[in-house]
Amino acid sequence: MNASAQPLIRLDGIKKVFYTDEVETHALAGIHLEIAQGEYIAIAGPSGCGKSTLLAILGLLDTPTDGTYMLNGHQVANLSLSERARVRNREIGFIFQSFNLIGDLTVFENVELPLIYRGMKAAERRERANAALERVGMAHRSKHLPSQLSGGQQQRVAVARAVAGQPSILLADEPTGNLDSKNGEAVMDLLRELHRAGATICMVTHDPRYAAHADRSVHLFDGRVVEENVGAGV
Amino acid sequence: MGIFRELRYALRSYLRAPGFAAVAVLTLALGIGGATAIFSVVDGILLRPLPYPEASRLVKLGRTTATGSMDGAFSAADFLDVRREGTSLVHVAGYREDISDLTGVGEPVRVPGVQTTAGFFDALGVTPLAGRVYTAADEARGGMAVISEGLWDRQFGRRSDVVGSQIRVNGIPTTIVGVVSASVRHPIKADLWNLAPGAVPTSPIPSGGLADREVQYFAALARLATGATMGDANAQLQAIGERLGQQFPETNRGESFHVRPLAATLVTDVRAGLLLLLGAVACVLLIACANVAGLMLARGLARRRELAVRAAIGASRWQIARQLMVEGLVLAAAGGAAGLILASWGVDLLVALAPQNLPRLGDIQLDWRVAGVASLATTAVGLLAGLAPVVQSSRPQVNEDLKDGGRTGTSIRTRFRSGLVVAEVALALILMIGAGLMATSLARLRAVDPGFHTTSMAAVDLPVPQSRYDGPAQGRFYSEVLGRLQDSPVTARSALVFPLPLRGSGASAAFDIEGRPSTGRPAQPIAELNIVSPDFFQTMGLRLVRGRGLASTDVEGRPPVVIINERLAREFGSEDPVGRRINLGDWITVVGVVSDARRESLAAAPQPALYLPYQQFVLPYMSLVVRTDASEAAVASAVKSVVRELDPDLPVETVRTIDQIVEASTDQPRFRTTILLAFSFLAVLLAAVGVYGLMSFSVSQRTSEMGVRLALGASPGQVGRLVLRQGLALAGLGVALGLAAAAGGGRLVASLLFDTSATDPAIYAGLAALLLTVAALACYVPARRAMRVDPMRALRAD
Amino acid sequence: MLKLRNIEKSFRHGLSQTFVLRRVNVDIPDGQFVSIMGPSGAGKSTLLHILGMHDSAWTGEYWLGEEPVHQLSAKDRMRLQKQHVGFVFQSYHLLDNLTVYENIDLPLSYRDVKKTERQGMVADILDRFNIVGKKDLYPNQLSGGQQQLVAIARAVVARPTIILADEPTGNLHSDQGREIMELFKRLNEGGTTIVQVTHSETNAAFGDRVIKLKDGWVVDEN
Repeated sequence: MNASAQPLIRLDGIKKVFYTDEVETHALAGIHLEIAQGEYIAIAGPSGCGKSTLLAILGLLDTPTDGTYMLNGHQVANLSLSERARVRNREIGFIFQSFNLIGDLTVFENVELPLIYRGMKAAERRERANAALERVGMAHRSKHLPSQLSGGQQQRVAVARAVAGQPSILLADEPTGNLDSKNGEAVMDLLRELHRAGATICMVTHDPRYAAHADRSVHLFDGRVVEENVGAGV
Repeated sequence: MGIFRELRYALRSYLRAPGFAAVAVLTLALGIGGATAIFSVVDGILLRPLPYPEASRLVKLGRTTATGSMDGAFSAADFLDVRREGTSLVHVAGYREDISDLTGVGEPVRVPGVQTTAGFFDALGVTPLAGRVYTAADEARGGMAVISEGLWDRQFGRRSDVVGSQIRVNGIPTTIVGVVSASVRHPIKADLWNLAPGAVPTSPIPSGGLADREVQYFAALARLATGATMGDANAQLQAIGERLGQQFPETNRGESFHVRPLAATLVTDVRAGLLLLLGAVACVLLIACANVAGLMLARGLARRRELAVRAAIGASRWQIARQLMVEGLVLAAAGGAAGLILASWGVDLLVALAPQNLPRLGDIQLDWRVAGVASLATTAVGLLAGLAPVVQSSRPQVNEDLKDGGRTGTSIRTRFRSGLVVAEVALALILMIGAGLMATSLARLRAVDPGFHTTSMAAVDLPVPQSRYDGPAQGRFYSEVLGRLQDSPVTARSALVFPLPLRGSGASAAFDIEGRPSTGRPAQPIAELNIVSPDFFQTMGLRLVRGRGLASTDVEGRPPVVIINERLAREFGSEDPVGRRINLGDWITVVGVVSDARRESLAAAPQPALYLPYQQFVLPYMSLVVRTDASEAAVASAVKSVVRELDPDLPVETVRTIDQIVEASTDQPRFRTTILLAFSFLAVLLAAVGVYGLMSFSVSQRTSEMGVRLALGASPGQVGRLVLRQGLALAGLGVALGLAAAAGGGRLVASLLFDTSATDPAIYAGLAALLLTVAALACYVPARRAMRVDPMRALRAD
Repeated sequence: MLKLRNIEKSFRHGLSQTFVLRRVNVDIPDGQFVSIMGPSGAGKSTLLHILGMHDSAWTGEYWLGEEPVHQLSAKDRMRLQKQHVGFVFQSYHLLDNLTVYENIDLPLSYRDVKKTERQGMVADILDRFNIVGKKDLYPNQLSGGQQQLVAIARAVVARPTIILADEPTGNLHSDQGREIMELFKRLNEGGTTIVQVTHSETNAAFGDRVIKLKDGWVVDEN
């Protein structure tokens, strides 16, 4: 497979329409987007512009009403439910605004969970989960429950969970949204480090300062891409 | 491996939130335990086959009369005719219950016994534990007995040489030929089966021997002959009966014979009550299922965000479903185990509570099939409900769940849950009304004035063995006992009576009034037959209304006299019955009229009754009643010392108060009422848990709505009332349905009620109000929570 | 006149204390249209909820006209809130099982307004907002913009002097958002004080003034 010739992700004419009894809402009105292997891309735009919907489609949590989605050269726009779960498990790592750690599981078990769903052997799981926790600097907290951690620490565990399975791409939905600016900066630094080590990252934010961290930012407005610019990639 | 990890996670999540797990396990346990315990009782009594080989071919013979049928109603001659001509039956055996005084081994003891003809064990097909049973070949030998395993243990220390040993039964030398297992308990849980010395059991009252058709005093059972059906046997017995009716119109006109399955005859009386309890248990099981389903649905909804996270990080639907199933099975296992413990306690408790005259009580044991079915039902319901989130996640809304924590799209399942709660409330009300009707009926039954004194009264049975006491000896013994008792202050006011009231003796006699044409059977008037000593009326508190009472001069050899009650006096119309004569086989003069009293049961109005003086019509089955303020123990010791002086070989039975006898006569309704009350309490508790669960879930789902309302200016009280109103609307709907169903189903219990309408509006309204109050209380905590919603936090949960 | 003096709000987190608002001093004259801006987590919504008297766990002084809100009992704050404040939320928060008409009627029902009078007030608002034709529909039968229109109608029906809006266009397309802003502008011109939290410079441009928050501090006021 030739990485330079073929982007990791290619979206063509992606549309998403929500129907209610009387109205149909066009959340996405034909998105074209390519993301290359190893790229760090920010999707920016005011709230309501459709960026969360786009992220859900990228993460195979939702299916587009129309359009094609190629991931690693495979058409994934209209996979069955179980196929989507399998692809999501192997190719995609999620980071949410509200962390979404599972409260009953310890830090280690949270990070291990996607590997369990993949059917990985226990020894390999332990090794990978520990490595991921080392990477985000949370290995010393692996026995704690999420409720015993601060928001910034929880988000770092969530990042570890996202990277533990070595996915093709990390999808981050306003990862700093629930954090104060200091902890927010720390999480942004962590993402940049991961990027330097080779990770492909796609981040949704409405904060232009954070968008500037990325190689490239795409601006959405009313469900369309209105502007693309190459950021500083600080 | 995966299963163990999920098991561990499931256990941990329950330990971290024990409230949910506790309620779910308790609900399961109560449902499974209650259902199993009650069903085991019903099964043991109604459904389980008798413990005899080919038990379905065992039949009981009965007599068909103008007023219905009698089970234990054979005269010697009728029995012999049926046995000889009934070719569709084999091993036709007669028997009657008989108290047996056992002497010759240690202290004299009185044991429950049965006197049978020789074919009795052949019919049942019993294999003895030791020795042999007597068979048809032993007919007319007498002096042989088979004892129970229990008596073998108690009286003979399980010695192997008991077979062949000599004892005296009611004074008659008898050889023990064998021992049978405790499972043989026909017609009662007897300790001794005694072979009749003739072709039929001995008669308790003088009769004309084997040719007698007048005195009907024993029961009969048989086995269907090979190839014969119940229908064949019935047709044949009917024909025999009709022939006898033509041949002997004096005694047999209009009567005939029939057979019924032996198992069915044992339970006729209690069938309706037990089926009612079975209905109650079905209600509780349904409520428990609804509650478990509701709980699991709520838990699933509350966890939608977590499940969405799991899906986002790549869990397949199967993996999520498996986790939910493991969690459900952990609950089911815990609930099932707790349920089995409750069930085994429940069976013991029910057997302990059950009236001792309930037939086949000893056949009751924990029924594993029922336990299995109940566990499976509740578990399946719980698992299905628990899997609902996975089923629903086939719609692509994981993204929304991640954002809003699963607050959208809940209306369908909330509506389904509301339906479950409505059903729970309705079922609970049905049970409450059932219990309320039973309790009211029982209270009214207990309040009935039986027509005699019940307090400060003691009673003891004092039968004497006919073998040692002939007619005159019986009279002498009783009059001697009575005389000596009057010397003691404790027993100064004593009297003799046969039978004691409220013990279901059924002794009655057909009679003709002098000067009126005799109608003959079956239209002849019938009166309850009592044999008493002169002091009986004063001792028991029956008032003399006209004429004179009995006197100590009314003895053998003097003109026979009888006292009648007011009910019977009415049969004489406007004429004064005193001085008139009635025919009971001989002519007897009515000398007095006493007030009415209830004899057969508290529920039945007083019947026409005859009181004959014991010194003219003695029976060896007299009981003693004593009016005294002394304790039963004092009475017992006074009676024992008097009896010991007269006959050291005669055991004295337990002294009981008349109050206890009255109490015991209401055993079955009280048993039913207690159980129904327990079940309705359980049902109300479960329904309250259901209402509480639904409302607190609804409040947590509607936090943001409550927040909006508060932000718009609603007072906390208004928000609280909103919750209360919603809960009460559901409960009200349930109550309405329950009232309708109870009114419709009330007819089914009408036959079990005494002086209480099955649709008594006061009971219905009172219990509906009570249930609504409970529902309001169950809504109170969630309503308080809704009032305390912090609008800021609620609205920020975007 | 809204007057905030030294408003502070903080959470304890183990040994450390996290400040959500620090020494906030703001004056908002009657009839002003103010936008509160700043990054996520800056304390914008918290400030709005303090203004709306939903939040009472704070220190400092808050004067609403002549009323010292910081000294009032919960009951008096509620009375003051009912009298003066109308709320608009990002996600509308219409009650799903009530019709448009019933949603708008709701605040009046909590204010003991007579039934006949209420009918008139609701009818008047339906006319002004041009949603008479939608009065029997349920919220899920409306588009997002229409839902927010109904939510604003509900906020103003009880004739508040202040409207507090938390990202009122956050879930809307830009042209729907512009309609909402124009509506606010008209209400403001009618004399209503408006305080909105927004991320959008475009929306802020409809107002008279922007208050910028960062990490709980007021960093810029113009």
